[in-house]
Amino acid sequence: MKALLIILFLLAVVLGAGPGIHLVNPDVTDPEATFTTFGLPTIYVWGLLWYAVQFGVILVAYFRYWNPDDE
Amino acid sequence: MSEVGGLGQVPYVILGLYLVLLLIFGIVGYRRRQAESEEDYYLAGRSQGWVVSSLTIMATFFSSFALLGAPGMVYRDGVVFALFSLNVPVAGVAIYLLGSRIRRLGRDRGYLTPADMIADHYASPVGLRLLVALVGLLYAVPYVVIQIQAGGILSQQLFPGRDAFEIGACLLALITMVYVTIGGMRSVAWTDVVQGGLLVGGMLLAGVAAVWVLGGPGPFFAAVADLPPKSLSAPGTTGRWTPELLFTASLFASLGSMIQPAQWMRFYAARSSDVLRRSALIFAAVLTLCFFFGVMLVGLGGQVLYPLLDAAGQYRTTAAGAILPHPSVGSTPGEFDQILVVVLKNHLPELLGPAGVVVATLILVAIMAAAMSTADSNLHALSALLTHDVFDSFVRPGASQHLRMWVGRGVIAAVTVLALILVVIGHRSASNPLGMIVILGLLAIAFSTQLLPMTVDMLYLRRGTRQGAMAGLITGLLTIFLLSPFWGMVAGDAFGSLLASMKRMIDIGAWGLLCNTLVFVGVSWWLGGRQDPSAAHGSRSHVES
Repeated sequence: MKALLIILFLLAVVLGAGPGIHLVNPDVTDPEATFTTFGLPTIYVWGLLWYAVQFGVILVAYFRYWNPDDE
Repeated sequence: MSEVGGLGQVPYVILGLYLVLLLIFGIVGYRRRQAESEEDYYLAGRSQGWVVSSLTIMATFFSSFALLGAPGMVYRDGVVFALFSLNVPVAGVAIYLLGSRIRRLGRDRGYLTPADMIADHYASPVGLRLLVALVGLLYAVPYVVIQIQAGGILSQQLFPGRDAFEIGACLLALITMVYVTIGGMRSVAWTDVVQGGLLVGGMLLAGVAAVWVLGGPGPFFAAVADLPPKSLSAPGTTGRWTPELLFTASLFASLGSMIQPAQWMRFYAARSSDVLRRSALIFAAVLTLCFFFGVMLVGLGGQVLYPLLDAAGQYRTTAAGAILPHPSVGSTPGEFDQILVVVLKNHLPELLGPAGVVVATLILVAIMAAAMSTADSNLHALSALLTHDVFDSFVRPGASQHLRMWVGRGVIAAVTVLALILVVIGHRSASNPLGMIVILGLLAIAFSTQLLPMTVDMLYLRRGTRQGAMAGLITGLLTIFLLSPFWGMVAGDAFGSLLASMKRMIDIGAWGLLCNTLVFVGVSWWLGGRQDPSAAHGSRSHVES
């Protein structure tokens, strides 16, 4: 579970604000390109999606793995 | 008294109350001191709870970059820069993973500054201590300069007139200097609670205001969808933010900002690990939302209200080809940062009447709070670096605690005045060398990121050597200097095309970190096998214990 969380978080970091943007980045030279998803800019939606993943991982880690008393 | 930029007298009253409140906190912080000692002045007796810790970490992390630089960058380059918000959860994780270990070691060994821990771990009381203090200076000085500059920009927009920039910059610098000087960490942290609250509220309110101005969420996003294609895709209007550059800049901005001296000292000051655990969660949840649903929307709304394209559908540019903002926002490439102030000042009072004036003023005070909260933390950290790491260690090792306090206070005053002079000179020069907030901020972060390999090694791996740490850090700093605008000023166009293509590829902090890590690992591996381990690795027993 711990390893899965780490992989998921790293994946969200690389895909969210990293090379993963290439997967959804519209081609400005293509006249048929669409720039929005659900009425919002596609890149903005992409960012929100990966933020949700990152925060989900943090929540699980907070309750299950981050020790409140590591003295 | 004249009206303030169309907002009436309200800004005078609210800003005045806010500044008086800060001074009161400064005095209360001084009166609540528990001892005349460095530990009390710089770390508030290591007693901060989670409310104060989370808000002071937030307020230190978010500077004028959050309310001026970030919306300015979205206004210039479009939605791609909104993804920069994803650096915040990474920083949140760093608060727990790095911060809790830093706190524990700091408490056990009585460390005050980052250099204390690093110099002790690698058994390098002179070389590494001075190098780490230098990194702190390279981070903190530009950050103080940026915040004072933000005070000037804000004043220029609010109080148009001769010398408005200088008056605003002086006011911000001097009031910050007063409360930091008298109250130390306690005053800084308490004022950060007020400023952190204002900052969070101001960022969200700014986003709501931008959406409101355009008629609500539906019309807002419909108008955004009609922006030029470059504004809705990577690498953005100027072509700067390739996914690779954005990735390295946002990743290292988060890590570099979390191990800079002021944050490091906040980890020391936390009462327990649980304080940092809670701070990490609050930080990741609240601040990312403030970015995504707050200030980033201001930049997008700004592109709708003040288009970058002229009537002929062409981008306005300088003779050198640099993109320019709409003439109502500014006339130079450095003035994109003013978009939030322009939107608030020109639209909210008209839309909401007296309520709009109050909302606009609160957001403008939040900008002031963002700048002051980062300036105070960095001034305070600078004082610790110069007093504890240089004066106490090399100039007067036997000085009394009382003398050390006064030297620390003198450092704060001297740095404030120096930064103020730099800002005023820069503003009055034809081509302001201090330029845009984001560019200067990223350079400062690039310097502090160079502490990362040593920090990770110290806290987790414990395989590096003193020589490796020093060689790596020097290599990283030199790499950044080579890639920074300063190299061009010193050496002209030497290696011009090579350096330019390197800068386009990934962030300069990432280049520095790459070279730093390679040298650190290489030298440590080479020497580690040739020396007595205890000599090569310094005094790491405290970490292992």
